[in-house]
Amino acid sequence: MIKGTDVTLRGLSKRFGKVWALKGLDLEVQAGELVAFLGPSGCGKTTTLLLIAGIYRPTTGEIHFGERRVDHLHPKDRDVGMVFQSYALYPHLTLFENIAFPLRLKKVPDAEVKSRVQSTADLLGIGHILNRRPAQVSGGQQQRAALARALVKEPQLLLLDEPLSNLDAQIRLSARAEIRRLQRDLGVTAILVTHDQAEALAMADRVAVFSTGELQQFATPDELYRKPKNTFVASFVGAPPMNLIEGVFKERAFEAGGFRQGLEGPHPQGQGWLGIRPEDIELRAEGTPATVLVVEPLGREALVMVESGGVRLQVLVPAEAKPAPDQQIHLHLPAEKLHYFDRTGTRVGP
Amino acid sequence: MRRYAIPAFFLTPATVLIVLFFMVPVVATLLLSFTDISTTTLSKPSWVGLGNYRDLLADPFLKKILANTGKYVALTLLFNVGMGLVLALLTSLVPSQIGDQFRALWLLPRILPPVVYVFIWQGLLTQAPMGLVSDLLGVSKNWIAAAPWSVVILANGMVGASFGMLIFTSAIRAISRELFYAAAVDGATTWQTVRRVILPLLSWPILFVTAYQTLSLLTSFEYILLLTDGGPGFYTTEVWSLRAYHLALSNYFGNVEFGLGAAMAAVLVLIGILVSLFYLKIFNFQNLVVEPKVEVN
Amino acid sequence: MPIRPPSWRLILIVLGLITLPIGVGTLWLLLTALFNQVHGLLPVGNINFGNWRFLWEGSINGRPPIWVALFNSILFAATVAFIEVLVASMAAYAISRMNFPGRRLYLGMILVLHAFPAVSLLIAIYYILRVLGLFDTLFGVILVKASLEIPLGIWLMKGFFDNLSWEMEMAALVDGASRWTVFRKVALPLVRPGILALGTFALLSAWGEFILPYTLIVSGKSWTLALYLQSFLRESFVDYGMMAAVGLFYALPVFVFFLLGQKYLLNIYSGGVKG
Repeated sequence: MIKGTDVTLRGLSKRFGKVWALKGLDLEVQAGELVAFLGPSGCGKTTTLLLIAGIYRPTTGEIHFGERRVDHLHPKDRDVGMVFQSYALYPHLTLFENIAFPLRLKKVPDAEVKSRVQSTADLLGIGHILNRRPAQVSGGQQQRAALARALVKEPQLLLLDEPLSNLDAQIRLSARAEIRRLQRDLGVTAILVTHDQAEALAMADRVAVFSTGELQQFATPDELYRKPKNTFVASFVGAPPMNLIEGVFKERAFEAGGFRQGLEGPHPQGQGWLGIRPEDIELRAEGTPATVLVVEPLGREALVMVESGGVRLQVLVPAEAKPAPDQQIHLHLPAEKLHYFDRTGTRVGP
Repeated sequence: MRRYAIPAFFLTPATVLIVLFFMVPVVATLLLSFTDISTTTLSKPSWVGLGNYRDLLADPFLKKILANTGKYVALTLLFNVGMGLVLALLTSLVPSQIGDQFRALWLLPRILPPVVYVFIWQGLLTQAPMGLVSDLLGVSKNWIAAAPWSVVILANGMVGASFGMLIFTSAIRAISRELFYAAAVDGATTWQTVRRVILPLLSWPILFVTAYQTLSLLTSFEYILLLTDGGPGFYTTEVWSLRAYHLALSNYFGNVEFGLGAAMAAVLVLIGILVSLFYLKIFNFQNLVVEPKVEVN
Repeated sequence: MPIRPPSWRLILIVLGLITLPIGVGTLWLLLTALFNQVHGLLPVGNINFGNWRFLWEGSINGRPPIWVALFNSILFAATVAFIEVLVASMAAYAISRMNFPGRRLYLGMILVLHAFPAVSLLIAIYYILRVLGLFDTLFGVILVKASLEIPLGIWLMKGFFDNLSWEMEMAALVDGASRWTVFRKVALPLVRPGILALGTFALLSAWGEFILPYTLIVSGKSWTLALYLQSFLRESFVDYGMMAAVGLFYALPVFVFFLLGQKYLLNIYSGGVKG
């Protein structure tokens, strides 16, 4: 069985010309863990992955796999497996030779290559199409072949760069579960880069949220959701995103234009943001008055855009309870579901 | 170390060959042009400074050579660009498979070995009964000797026309379909479309082909050497590059004047360097260099 | 053009007329080579294989046997093409895909050399080959011919390497390949169209090459077919029949290639190979 490695990044930075793609990243991934790097494009998550793979040279900082410092090593000496967004299969080789490629480079004897490729391919359910070329199989099968190629050399670390984003929505859900299952069974440490927060939350033990080259928060999916560290994480994690209202905290109340929300317990003072998730807002007979602007049915639920005192909010309600456009309603924002952020966007309170 | 060693390994063979047969020859051409190296002084040539260049200017045939060179370059260029344009336009107006066939046929003069190509010209232009032209015109003579300039320009032109033809064809293909449809909707005739839509858009390719072929015509002499060898008679079709070649490498009088030939070649080399540098400028070099996405070697 | 003009048949006739000389020339070569006498394009004698006696008569007027020249031509063209493709691909791969100081400068130099008319260096090259002791050897001419086309080759191949997927290259590195292995096992197979294009161009160009061997080779044992054919032109009495036969023999691979791969040729020569 494969045994995963710890990965430690210390003060890792990368500059391209005058642009800092990554600034002073400190991060520790534990052995056997699946960590997701989440963020919008250009946030530094793929750069970090390529630094770990050894494709890029860090501008500053260190990379350790367990006890071994690797940032000076050539990619071929790092013992990592990687799956790319485009799968990057070699179009001139059959799936068998694609998967065998890393073993051939290591001069593994023919018989062993054969058995290892076959067993890895069987594990991924593509053992019967190994004599085909990448162009002759489906996208899902290509993705599995890419995964098999990454796993066949039994790496200590598996790097996944948006491995699911080229798949159809249907296959994507099953592929998620399968990658997760494989990774756990094999015990390999894995890092998944994705821009899809649902994917990150569903698959990862812990999620590192990136923005503009900096790590915003590194926590479990649950904590990210419940206690986002700043307004960026708050708005990026969760769908539909958290409502963030910019305004002023006063004594036991928050005001933004004509919108007013009474507060209980400790809260910040002065300029800042009040946050609440759409699913946490309730429609009640009494409370903050609001007007329904748009109603978007989502099947089981409906997303309702409302306006209250000049502030627009998104509210998620059960489909059968959805209001009609232009209807006057009342909102209830439960105190324990409110998030407070100060003027710099940093979370305040528990 | 790997950072430099690996690219160096990949670049070494090309670099050695380029240094040996481009860089060193450029310097050697210039150096030799300052010596009196010839058959008699091959072992120890002496430095003559600008002597060769002075001789060159004093050469009574210089005017004739210059006039020949101008005539050759200008007329061949005219034929090349004009015929290239005509071929590109006409083959674009007929169904594309037929157009491709014709374009391919025009490649034949270029890919045929020059010696075979020139031999065909000689055969067609020789005396009757063998020569087709003599046959058709009813006047039997060697037409290469009778009209050397026409032959030199036509023979070179038929080889060179395909260059312009292909470049102009790509340019015409690159024009957006909507433009043609718009012209058709506006009621333009084919000729009007050609004149008002296609030709204005071809001005840049035409400039490119002209600039490019000027330089290569200025220095090329292979077909003239084979067709007339500068004759018939005294320097009738002798151009600058051929004269340099004759002086340095095959003098009629047995005394190879290497230094003088090198001086003539040096002039061409300098022009070549200047014009190539000029290309680099108009080619928009910046856009051609994209940073590699892999940093390790 | 997307819209075909109403008078396209007329245009076809015009095209046919201006292209006629090419057809006529080719036909003339064929007829003159095959019949014992031809008036213009009219064969007046019988089919005559006497024109082809250079194939079995060993030596014609003191020339080396044509098989020597044929062998030299094949050796010349094949070696030139091989060197050109290999050396240009290696350099192009480095320029296109590697990070090293001086990369821009190197590319700029290649671009300048690509436009530079190499034939103007012939006099100096003659001198250099003498100094290197490679004068009058096939190997020397092979090196010169390949070198002079290397900037073009690098330029052409760079275009092909530029289009390779970076992720594939990264994948190969992570899979455990060195850059040399990536080049050999992944990049080269994937730029096969480029190799074929450059290879074809180099073969055709070297096969027809005249001025370099003419200048740099003296002895008959190193003659190529170009020199063999040209030697007939220097004779006082020109045997057109036999010359046509030799010419056809020499140009046969080109004609065959032309008939089989017209479309392919058009692509190669439209793709920026200079002429």
